[in-house]
Amino acid sequence: MPIDTQTIGLVTILAAPLATAVVLFLLRGRSIRFAGWIAGVSAALSLAAVLAMLPALYQGEVPTLSMPWIPAAGIELGLHVDWLTLPFLVTEAAVTLVAIAYSWGYHRGDERSGAFYGLLLLFGLGMSGTTLADDMVLFYVFWELMLVASSILILLWGEGEERGPIALKYFIFTHLGSLLVLVGLIALYDATGTDSFSALRAGVSLSPGLTRMVIGLFLVGFSVKMAVFPVHLWLPDAHTVAPMPVTIMLAAAMLSMGTYGILRFPLSIFSRADVASFALPMMIAGVFSEVYGALMALAERDIKRIIAYSSVSQMGYILFGLGTLTADGITGATLHVIYHAIVKALLFMGAGWVIKSTGRRRIGELGGLAKKMPWAALCTGVGALAIAGMPPFCIFDSEWMIFSGGFHTAHIGLSVITLLGSLLTVVYAAQLIIGIFFGSPPEGLTVKKPHWAIVAPTALLTALAFIEGIFPAMLFDWVVRELPLILGGRW
Amino acid sequence: MSGDVWVVAPLVWLGAGAFIIYLVSRIITERNGWLALCTTLIFTAALITLVPLALSTRHAVQVSNPLPTWGSTEPGSVRMRSDPGALVIVATALGLGILTSIYSGRYLSRDPRHKLYYPLLLLMVTGLCGTVLAADLFNLYLFCELMSIAAYVLVAFRRRSDKAIEAGFKYLIMGSVGTLLFLTGVAFIYRAQGTIALPVPSVAPANPLKLWTRAGLAFILVGLGVKSALVPLHTWLPDAHGRAPSSVSALLSGIIIQSAFYALLKVSLGTGMSARALGGILIPVSIANMTLGNVMALVQTDTKRLLGYSTVAQMGYIIFGIGVGLHYAIPEAIQAGFFLLVAHAAMKALAFLSKGVHRFYLDANSIDDLRGTAFQLPLIAVTFTVALGGLAGVPPLAGFISKWFILGEVLQPGEPLAYVGLAIFLLNTLLALGYYLPLVARLFVLPHHHTGSTMERVAISAWMAVPLVMGAALVIAIGLYPGPWWTWVDGVGPYLLGR
Repeated sequence: MPIDTQTIGLVTILAAPLATAVVLFLLRGRSIRFAGWIAGVSAALSLAAVLAMLPALYQGEVPTLSMPWIPAAGIELGLHVDWLTLPFLVTEAAVTLVAIAYSWGYHRGDERSGAFYGLLLLFGLGMSGTTLADDMVLFYVFWELMLVASSILILLWGEGEERGPIALKYFIFTHLGSLLVLVGLIALYDATGTDSFSALRAGVSLSPGLTRMVIGLFLVGFSVKMAVFPVHLWLPDAHTVAPMPVTIMLAAAMLSMGTYGILRFPLSIFSRADVASFALPMMIAGVFSEVYGALMALAERDIKRIIAYSSVSQMGYILFGLGTLTADGITGATLHVIYHAIVKALLFMGAGWVIKSTGRRRIGELGGLAKKMPWAALCTGVGALAIAGMPPFCIFDSEWMIFSGGFHTAHIGLSVITLLGSLLTVVYAAQLIIGIFFGSPPEGLTVKKPHWAIVAPTALLTALAFIEGIFPAMLFDWVVRELPLILGGRW
Repeated sequence: MSGDVWVVAPLVWLGAGAFIIYLVSRIITERNGWLALCTTLIFTAALITLVPLALSTRHAVQVSNPLPTWGSTEPGSVRMRSDPGALVIVATALGLGILTSIYSGRYLSRDPRHKLYYPLLLLMVTGLCGTVLAADLFNLYLFCELMSIAAYVLVAFRRRSDKAIEAGFKYLIMGSVGTLLFLTGVAFIYRAQGTIALPVPSVAPANPLKLWTRAGLAFILVGLGVKSALVPLHTWLPDAHGRAPSSVSALLSGIIIQSAFYALLKVSLGTGMSARALGGILIPVSIANMTLGNVMALVQTDTKRLLGYSTVAQMGYIIFGIGVGLHYAIPEAIQAGFFLLVAHAAMKALAFLSKGVHRFYLDANSIDDLRGTAFQLPLIAVTFTVALGGLAGVPPLAGFISKWFILGEVLQPGEPLAYVGLAIFLLNTLLALGYYLPLVARLFVLPHHHTGSTMERVAISAWMAVPLVMGAALVIAIGLYPGPWWTWVDGVGPYLLGR
């Protein structure tokens, strides 16, 4: 294993949060005052290391790290970054950093703060490890770490009396998806005799029946993590109860892990012919999820739950885009992961700003806040417009690509339904904004001044949603480069 | 009397150790700490005497020499033989023996009769070693009885509580019925074959089996099935493992029933039952074990009973791997089963020992009593979490990698039965989360009526902290670096399949 800058960078992405988390756990109560800062620095370091991979990737290299782990069973410990990894890795690292920064303002410091920030870092580590892993065991280890860390965060810092049962429901429900994925992984491992992704990409020979079974297992398993209807049941509760920084990480970054899984396994390993029979079911599931999530968002009164259901709806777009199996659709779906992360984090931050300032979270109990909190109204308003797919905000670009992918397939009717379904998004987004910021304020509504660490990240993301909407070229360029890795690279 | 002395060395050493400890307690000192230390030393020495035996057995397996054997073939003489599976079980038992005897240095300090405890512990492990090393049915029966009788007494060791007596009595009755059936089976087999020698599976008498042999095998399967807690013969286990002192439960759940199960494998394969037929019986049994164990564990309110049912379920996983391996002749699946056996021993012992600390310092028994104890016993909360997380199969702990191996090997044959078993296995894994996770969660959440005074941190004795940290390190080490352990159990599959 040669020690070069790439190796150091790869190790830093994972080692920085891990080491920091360990230190924070060991310090326990003694780190109340600086835990947040250390965690922020560590997350920033991790993000910097991710970005440091870019030059090598532009030169066509694939930074890789590999060492034997269980030689007797052909299991290796491998990490790698390619163009399919990068968009997800950047999203996860950036969301972790933003969520930690937001916690400075949102999380009240107490003697458990060290553990809180440590677990946030471990949650982020689980996500970036999952994306970096180049072998199945490591993939699954990080995949579960993400689940364990987030469940503990919900269990210990969740809001409301129901947090115990909800954390359990979240764990068991998503673990069910993980187990389906595990069976798929092991079937592939048995077929190839090695657990490295590179060997899988070189080709897998399975019987047609087994191929269909494995693809089906992966799609269903990863859909649980994506929270697509009807396997979304864990999401609304978990998102509502989790403390806001955790909700941000769950909604903006963790949901995208399901997308990564679908791109990495069924779509990369198998040929277009193998996957083709799943295309239509994926598109239909996507449309259902889109419409169902939007309708539920319309019916909800709790602002966190509205935004949570909007995730179910948005994941529907992504699944639809993946299901088109067209270059536009898949590019659009990947872009949507990133843009949805920005906008969803922005919406939750805006909601957190409102909840923290007023102490209320239901639509009927809020109203007329635009005068008292103009900046919150502006930021959340941008988020709402963006989620509704308004130009010039970023989600418009990715939805454009997804719809374009849809119109390239034979299923024009479905694509039209998707397009029309997005109207519902406008309605719930408008309802959210009007319910919070306009109308007459209810009695007894007082507004506290927010912490700067709540305002700054929200403003940053507002700007980003705008900038990315107008100048998406760089991200487009990153995302398009993943296509040669998918479906055998023939487009 | 000839042969490889190393085969009986651990037995002799442990058996003698039991008397030495008793004499020490009568003549030299009754101090609990000293007795625990001596017992630890005896276990350690026995583990060291195992090293040459392990080397020669491994050598014999690799170059197909005869396995190391001790004693003559005449009836009535002591005849012992080492084999790869027996070595794994003996070594695991001695390892657990070391952990529990250190732990007992504090745990038993409040029991007035601790001077009887250590000899019994040593005798139980002596019986265990004899059971798995015996090369004929008679010695197997004797050592199995030695192990069981010591275990009955240890279960009822805290005789002040009625429940312990009741559990011990139930165990005694059911165990005796099992022994009786086993003895009947031995008699039948002796009638049919005219010998009680137990050949290695590769030279076992070929089919077709005589009627008396079949009848004998049926009796033996049921008899040893009771001792290895195969559903529906498991009913004594939750009581016995739930009422015994935690240090004893660690051994009972971790290795005693597994050694009885290994004896079952050895006897059935040695008397000529085909691996395919035995596997065909074991697969449905394993499914019953895991399903019933998990469902019953869900409704338990007492922590140790919950752990007992979890053992029933985990036995199901172990037997599933071994059963599929025997039925479809996949040595790696058997290897995976034994890997889980070792991993489970570490995890379950750690869980019981952690639970014992709660009982010792806080008198916490029911699951609800554990609420918020992480604030009083942070170290124990961590070790308990590691143990339960491992049992639930959370990566990167030992239980996850074991399940990975079992899943991987069981999928190999591509048979419908294996797929059905696999689906049930996965559902069970999910079901098990329903009791492991709330247990872990309860440790860390604040009690209902939290009052400042009760939440002070309790200092725990090094006698308890050291084995717990060792156990937790082991569970993590097996999970993170399973390679050496996986290689260590690789001889068992070919041996049992008679290759």
